[in-house]
Amino acid sequence: MSGTLTTEVLPDEAALRRERRSRALAEMEADGIDVLVLGREGNARYVAGVPRLWTAGSRPFTPGCVLVRSTGDVHLLSTWDEGVPDDIPHEHLYGITFNPMNMVEVLRGVAGAATAARVGTDSLTPMFAQLLPAAFPAAEIVDGDAAVRRARRTKTPAEVDELRASVAVTERCLRAAEQRLAAGVTERELAAAFMGEMARAGVTTPSTQDVARITSRKHPWARAERDTLAAGDLVVLSGGVVRGGYTGELARTHAVGGGHGGLFDRLEQLRGALLAACRPGATGTDLLRAYRAAGIDPPPVPIARGLGLGFDVPIIAADLPDTAAGERLDPGVVFALTSYVWEPGLGAAITTDAVHVTEDGPELLGSSGPSSNEVTR
Amino acid sequence: MPAGLMERAAPGRIPALADLDRMRAERTERLRAAMGEQGLDAIVLLGNTNVVYATGATWPLGDPGRANFEQPVAVVLADDEWPHLFSPLPDEPALPADHVHGPVYLDLDEGVREFERRLGELVAPGATIGVDEWTFAMAREGSRLFAHGPPRDAGKVVNKCKLRKTPDELACLREALRITEEGIAAVQAGLEPGIRQVELTATFLATVFEAGADANTLDPIWQVMPPTLGEGPWTTHGDLACPLLTTERELRRGDVLWVDTSVTYQGFHSDFGRTWIVGDEPTARQRAQFRLWQEIVEAVLEVTRAGATHSELTAAARTVAGDRVPWMAHFYLGHGLGIDAAEMPYVGSDLGEQFDATHTLEDGMVLVLEPLVWDDGAAGYRAEEVVAITEDGWEPMTDYPYDPF
Repeated sequence: MSGTLTTEVLPDEAALRRERRSRALAEMEADGIDVLVLGREGNARYVAGVPRLWTAGSRPFTPGCVLVRSTGDVHLLSTWDEGVPDDIPHEHLYGITFNPMNMVEVLRGVAGAATAARVGTDSLTPMFAQLLPAAFPAAEIVDGDAAVRRARRTKTPAEVDELRASVAVTERCLRAAEQRLAAGVTERELAAAFMGEMARAGVTTPSTQDVARITSRKHPWARAERDTLAAGDLVVLSGGVVRGGYTGELARTHAVGGGHGGLFDRLEQLRGALLAACRPGATGTDLLRAYRAAGIDPPPVPIARGLGLGFDVPIIAADLPDTAAGERLDPGVVFALTSYVWEPGLGAAITTDAVHVTEDGPELLGSSGPSSNEVTR
Repeated sequence: MPAGLMERAAPGRIPALADLDRMRAERTERLRAAMGEQGLDAIVLLGNTNVVYATGATWPLGDPGRANFEQPVAVVLADDEWPHLFSPLPDEPALPADHVHGPVYLDLDEGVREFERRLGELVAPGATIGVDEWTFAMAREGSRLFAHGPPRDAGKVVNKCKLRKTPDELACLREALRITEEGIAAVQAGLEPGIRQVELTATFLATVFEAGADANTLDPIWQVMPPTLGEGPWTTHGDLACPLLTTERELRRGDVLWVDTSVTYQGFHSDFGRTWIVGDEPTARQRAQFRLWQEIVEAVLEVTRAGATHSELTAAARTVAGDRVPWMAHFYLGHGLGIDAAEMPYVGSDLGEQFDATHTLEDGMVLVLEPLVWDDGAAGYRAEEVVAITEDGWEPMTDYPYDPF
């Protein structure tokens, strides 16, 4: 944290915007896409560099940002110019609308819309699948998500710095929750401690709101059937913030009243093996192999998932072996890496680290302290 | 406050506690009936709120980007009283064990192939399947979903079903509103010159989570309104810019704050809007703004009932307000509230006058009225009023005061 206060809504740094936009344009070129129409907020932020109102939950596709390859022009859904940089002029801003036909009119007005041959979107709804041809009469509607995904896959040094700053805020918030952690406290009180600290740190947008989970002693991937902490519980604190658009996520596990040293030792061994596998050029398969080598069943969710502007690759999960084999950990890739062990009768211990793959090996964005501890309160 | 609004008896038909199993069963019933009308054998739902509606599963909604690797997916079959849920979440949904499945990854080709395999165990070959949205991985690999060309619109089916709330749904919604107002009361108690916008957010978030919110769903808005339009940001329509983002800005005595927040409880979004004056009493001019706002709300509520066209409401508001349209040009006079923070009905939006003239309110809808009074030179007054529509009028959903007005 720089310690300075942010009292104005500002666009992302000019150099960051330029670099990201040029990567997106290069990938459009590679896929022969003339116009990109983006609905996902992370993609729009990547291309435009403009902070917009945060709301929780997924949103159906709507054209929130348009990038034209021939000119590099960005058109952005924003009713006002606060936070909008000079490289997106007023005439390229369009307002909130509830009328899809008005949206079609906006798209028709994009220079090049009439002649574009290939228009990429990052997902679609049945309604926009019907309407987009009216705005782009000569175009085939194609996958634009692949291009943006490739552009976003490896981070620029400036992006890594953004992610490091987001992780630092998350660590601060997790510490605030840890300080509340004791028998008799509820899961929601721990979430409250995290969220309050986040806002005091100057960030008002979480990436996840499921902060505290008493793990089940009966089922490997489940929550206990109560929300008040008791001695002997293994409690996972997992949090994340969205700061400057970038997501920093971490998880740590705590044993209420102490104990469970054996399980924590296994967790720490697995974590070490997983981190060691994050060498440049390794693949997702190497991470799954680290689980198998430790004799531990991976969780039924991704053990690695990209960190960036909301959704980034790689996604590495035991259910997706082919995908894992194809995911190479190139320098510049940043992801949340989850170590997980579960033992019947005890519960689960989970650590999530933010890992940046460099030429020299993995770098933790955040402290390398123990992944878990015993809480004797 | 609008005369009489809060003096009405609490709605008798809303139970104190929702019966969640009954709520889920009634929704599935509606969905299956609507699917029958559309000739759909199955619907596949990806949108977070659509999944909440269809399955009764709730979880603390995360950043929109999270949905792409943490995405519960629902499948509703026309011939099954229970929905299927594919979920990465650690929570146990109240569904039969054989209707709860592990996660699927519909952003990845391999994930879609696996989903197709599992879908094949649920639907017959050649079934007509609707979806609410799709990824390009689905378009590439979804041979069942795209068997008859682009899939039919399942989002429309859900939108239609969720228009009219059941008493259990109204009970959940009222609890979401109560939790929000507990957070708002804590914020208002600490509002004083020198406090920063983010500190208001800190108090709000900490309080609503402790009070029982499942999630916060809108970066809370504490917008300092400039006295004149010209002092605000440029806008596409030349009207007000709102909502603008919260920063570490320090509030000063006399600042006019427009407040807007939303949380969820059991999948239901709340909505809250008020105008506050920081560390001061309203001036005579500001009180006059509030009085006019009250008159607008009263006039609108006078014509609000099941069967009223949207136009009757917008006309009532405009008759009182005079020359200026008394709501934000990029929003509406009113919007629905429920599983989504803003859903049908939209009253006075850019869907247009013809739309407003041909659409009517229905019993069980929930309407958030958000007119405003702008008084260039002295900012303005805006607040939100949440009511449930009944056959003969409406019922208040909340009774939060209008202090300092």
